[in-house]
Amino acid sequence: MTAETELDPVIHAPARLRVVVTLATLRDGDNLSFTRLQELLGLTPGNLITHLRKLEDAGYVTTVKSGSGVASRTSVSLSPQGRKALDNYTAVLRQLLDSASADGTSPQ
Amino acid sequence: MLEDQDMSVQEAAAVVRDARVRAREELVISTPLVYMAWGLVWLIGYGAMWLSVRGQHPYTGPSGVSIAAVFVLAGFAIAAVLVIASKAAAGIGGQSVRQRRIIGSTWAIGYLILLITAPAVSSSVSARTLALISFAGPVVLAGLTYILAAALGRDRPALAAGAWLVIVGTSCAWLAPAAILATCALAGGGALLLMAVIETRLRAHDS
Repeated sequence: MTAETELDPVIHAPARLRVVVTLATLRDGDNLSFTRLQELLGLTPGNLITHLRKLEDAGYVTTVKSGSGVASRTSVSLSPQGRKALDNYTAVLRQLLDSASADGTSPQ
Repeated sequence: MLEDQDMSVQEAAAVVRDARVRAREELVISTPLVYMAWGLVWLIGYGAMWLSVRGQHPYTGPSGVSIAAVFVLAGFAIAAVLVIASKAAAGIGGQSVRQRRIIGSTWAIGYLILLITAPAVSSSVSARTLALISFAGPVVLAGLTYILAAALGRDRPALAAGAWLVIVGTSCAWLAPAAILATCALAGGGALLLMAVIETRLRAHDS
């Protein structure tokens, strides 16, 4: 297994990073409603849908719609692949920060 | 927030940190507050009952005022825990919702059994046995509920708290009624307050 050295571009965007970190706070087997996620992140519905679609395409999140009409609920959860991607991302981030502080440089 | 906005590594680290802190504040039940609420109820409630029986010869039981105070305090604690839990759980679905229902109903059914059992057996058992059921019973029940919560949620601090409360409640079998109340107040309520401090530190460390 090779160590990752680059930040995952799917996650490396402020809004998507916040989505993934927020969903990672939930326990395995839990999901969060779209409206609560939107409220927590302060994103517009359209913006959140766009970011969720990118994360879903990468296999990092799963969205499930249940019910119909006013009782409909869209729930979002982080997939095991998404949790692993976030772990890798934070590990690479830590590595970059450590090497930058060792070199006295500012990583971009 | 802009789509695919470029971020430096430092900015990304700050986003991760801030999002994690906010998500934990909003989505995770504040266990330190829950421990503190019940710790205070036990320390003050059992303490008040102990003060009312201290020096009784023969033992006749806690005063009506101290018993009423316990029920009022417990009512406040239940309301506080429900508010804390429902605020954090809003919008969350899945396994932990089912687990919370199991834990909550186990505690409620157990407590109901104690509330029914104690008056039902009061005329046929000794004052010491009645004190054991009425005062140490809720402590053992809370301990078993914490152990159940720990088993379902893989929560080691809750396991430690639960095991300690079971030990405290069981050890009351060898004590006189007044000593049972003092033990439940100090070793039970005190332990829950200590757990509030430990959980606060663990959460600060995790952040």
